[in-house]
Amino acid sequence: MDANRSKLTFSLILIVGVLTVCPVVMLVIGSFSEGLTAFGSFTLQKYVEAYTDPALAEIILNTVIFVLGSSTLATVLALFLSYLNNRTDIPCKFMFRIISIIPMMIPHILFSVSWALLLNPSNGLINLVLKQVFFLDHAPLNIYSLWGMILVEGLLDLPIAYLIIAPAMASFDVALEESSKVCGAGPLRTLFRVTLPVLRPAILAAFILGVVRSLASFAVPSVIGMPGRVYVLATHLYQMIATGFSVDYGKAAAIGMSVLAASVTLILVYRALTSESEKYVTISSRGYRPTVIPLKGARIPLFAVVALLSFVLIVLPVVVLFYTSLVPYSMVPSARAFSLMSWKHWIEVLRDPISLLSLKNSLMLGLGGATLGVILSVFVAYTIVKVRTRAAGILESLSFLSFSFPGIVIGMGFMWFFVRTPLYATIWALLIGYIATYLPYGIRPLASAFVQVHSHLEESSLVCGASRMTTMRRIIIPLLVPGMVSGWILMATMFVRELTLSVVLSRPGTEVLAVQILRFAEDGLWGRLSALGIMMIFISTILVILANLVGARFKPMEGGG
Amino acid sequence: MEIKIQGVSKHYFSEGKTIKALDDVTLTIPANQIFTLLGPSGCGKTTLLRCIVGLESPDSGEISIGDEVVWSKDKGIYVPTEERGLGMVFQTYAIWPHMNVFDNVAYPLQTRNVPRDVIRRKVEKTLHFVQLEGFEKRPATKLSGGQQQRVALARALVAEPKVILFDEPLSNLDAKLREETRKELRTFLTELSITAVYVTHDRIEALALSDSIAVMRAGRIIEIGSPQKIYFDADHRFVADFIGRANLIPAKVVKQTENATVVESPLGVITCQKRDLAEGATVTLCLRPEFIRVAPGSGKEGANVVRGKVETLVFIGEAFEMEIRAGGELLLAKVDADTRTQVGDVLHFTLDPAHCLLVAV
Repeated sequence: MDANRSKLTFSLILIVGVLTVCPVVMLVIGSFSEGLTAFGSFTLQKYVEAYTDPALAEIILNTVIFVLGSSTLATVLALFLSYLNNRTDIPCKFMFRIISIIPMMIPHILFSVSWALLLNPSNGLINLVLKQVFFLDHAPLNIYSLWGMILVEGLLDLPIAYLIIAPAMASFDVALEESSKVCGAGPLRTLFRVTLPVLRPAILAAFILGVVRSLASFAVPSVIGMPGRVYVLATHLYQMIATGFSVDYGKAAAIGMSVLAASVTLILVYRALTSESEKYVTISSRGYRPTVIPLKGARIPLFAVVALLSFVLIVLPVVVLFYTSLVPYSMVPSARAFSLMSWKHWIEVLRDPISLLSLKNSLMLGLGGATLGVILSVFVAYTIVKVRTRAAGILESLSFLSFSFPGIVIGMGFMWFFVRTPLYATIWALLIGYIATYLPYGIRPLASAFVQVHSHLEESSLVCGASRMTTMRRIIIPLLVPGMVSGWILMATMFVRELTLSVVLSRPGTEVLAVQILRFAEDGLWGRLSALGIMMIFISTILVILANLVGARFKPMEGGG
Repeated sequence: MEIKIQGVSKHYFSEGKTIKALDDVTLTIPANQIFTLLGPSGCGKTTLLRCIVGLESPDSGEISIGDEVVWSKDKGIYVPTEERGLGMVFQTYAIWPHMNVFDNVAYPLQTRNVPRDVIRRKVEKTLHFVQLEGFEKRPATKLSGGQQQRVALARALVAEPKVILFDEPLSNLDAKLREETRKELRTFLTELSITAVYVTHDRIEALALSDSIAVMRAGRIIEIGSPQKIYFDADHRFVADFIGRANLIPAKVVKQTENATVVESPLGVITCQKRDLAEGATVTLCLRPEFIRVAPGSGKEGANVVRGKVETLVFIGEAFEMEIRAGGELLLAKVDADTRTQVGDVLHFTLDPAHCLLVAV
């Protein structure tokens, strides 16, 4: 049995190693090469060219402002929301759960597009309304700016920041605050001297994860930044490899190396912080409830703020997209607009062969990729949790590494690799890239499922006279199903909406939904874009519902004999 | 059913070192008794239990349950766990969280393909026995620690096994509940007249529950006996020390009389329980704190009377714990809660020869 286990561990290290290390190695070699076709002929030329580009300074400045701004916005909002939810008597607390989960269903590119539809300077809906109401000549608001990018990216990173800060806030031991009050400190002093410092690891972790995500973000910089000529590193890279006449993968790889290094460093810091935070925040005994602070007069206004946020995060994007998909061109909602509504854009999309192909490809990648990804995750999670040798530790670090990979950078690494194989420009290239980049999303829920399956649960079934097969069927699989379902949902929804890796790897014939939507955005075909986008949201939702139904079927009968 | 263990060894290899979890253990567990394996953590008691149930395989030796050999290195026999037909309560209870109470308890019967109505009847009966009637539909995760423990017991009992094994089943309960459950368990097991093998590191649990106790250390069985024998009459210093608090004083045998052994010690000449020891042998005198008694009145020097000064006095509720300096040794004694003794008093203490225990060094 031990021999089998170590064989399993090593083959997994090999698979995960190839998936995660290979693109990085290819990127490094690529950055020292002449070009995609002249792979391996060593040169420093690309680094010199890339880093002496006079435009780079401004791009880096933009990137820093964008990344820090949006992470700060997301963290502050998340802190505000989790405080309201856990520590105050704000009504309708179920809303907080919705805020933290539902926005993940809305693809980033569609969220960005909906804000562009609302606030773009030429025909943004809100701008049109403001111009009519106040008789203005110019649009008062312009989303195509650094501030617009920060706003949209901050809102996009809010749910993940909330998911990190809220549990820490919920397990916060109020006695720490109470003893500060006993010592004579007022509420403000207590907040800054006790509450925030104790929560610091969680807050920092949320902030750093926000930085990593916005550094890798491509949807917001491309949809909102590029029309306003505000470039950040992600769009700078995209320009070098996908637009213009002189496509230069070597130069892009040279820049990509810095982005990757920054991202990996930050993820290592994040990891150190989250393991630290377990020591920090004291989780009190069962049945413990923190004292609730009455908001009194502020209750309703604060509730209105939360309601507005959830409206902006969930309802607004979908409504704007649906509205735009029905009207012939951008117009303020009015009787005339409603009379002109038609399914014209929808029919055009359904007649467009490339849109249909992208629908088919994304659906296949979602279904097939998530299934393969979950199967691989089951084995990896099993090894990490149950085998626990030093080799299993290496496997864990390897599988965590891809968490830090910025899609567009790692996509270039894969490009250097695939161009040398028959996989180039096939759907398999996308499949492998997706699984490699999103493996942690499958492993995490499964690892916690395996942690739940204590070896005693298994052994006790054997003692009761059940065979290994019966034990597998009645004990282990049912306990793993919830983990498998959430891993599958996470991966499938990620794959259906995948953009950053796809913009690099997708080629004619392997178009996917998000890339097709980006093309529509670049061409200003907002109507078709919205129709396709609504279909995309619809597909994600159907997949989630299906996965839950399948998961429920596997649950053993409760009660009865 | 009787369990016979013969020459069983089990070694682990960890970081280049060999750990002898079981070192040539030979043991017979008598039928229909509560038999406890007691020892400090890492002594191999759980490993022995897991070898009996078949979750681990020894490196050598033979194990038989009743007339059936379930494991033998030489004969190449290995009966898998699921075919041994035993019951076991795990330290973590191992209640399956995705099933309700009924399914957890019914599981052993379901794997034996017992008809549904029989299952229903037997589960009902067993739940009644462990005082959990009406909990059938309750999800297993919605139970308290004590209730989970009883579900685990019901599951181990429902198929009426001839042998039931316990792996520190009370260690996850709080002190008060542990005491209650211990009493209940004793009642249940006596009522069933079943062979029970019980693993614990808690000496009070072992003394209160068992018919026989085997004390283990470093993979070996040091001593087997009834709780009284182990407590009052241990042969080994380790056992005497482990099973209860004891003052251990170096001594030397000076004389053997008809019904006593006399030793010389820093406390003076002490008459002890009769032991078969050569004159001049170096031994350890073992005195339990509760048998060091304050001599009434002013006391007088004589046989088994020790003069000592009270150094500390701690009130622990039902008694005082007193440290006495006598003959250069510091003795721990337990005296009645209503004593008028004070720190600094010089008193005489009597040592009953029946409770002066001599053990090998």
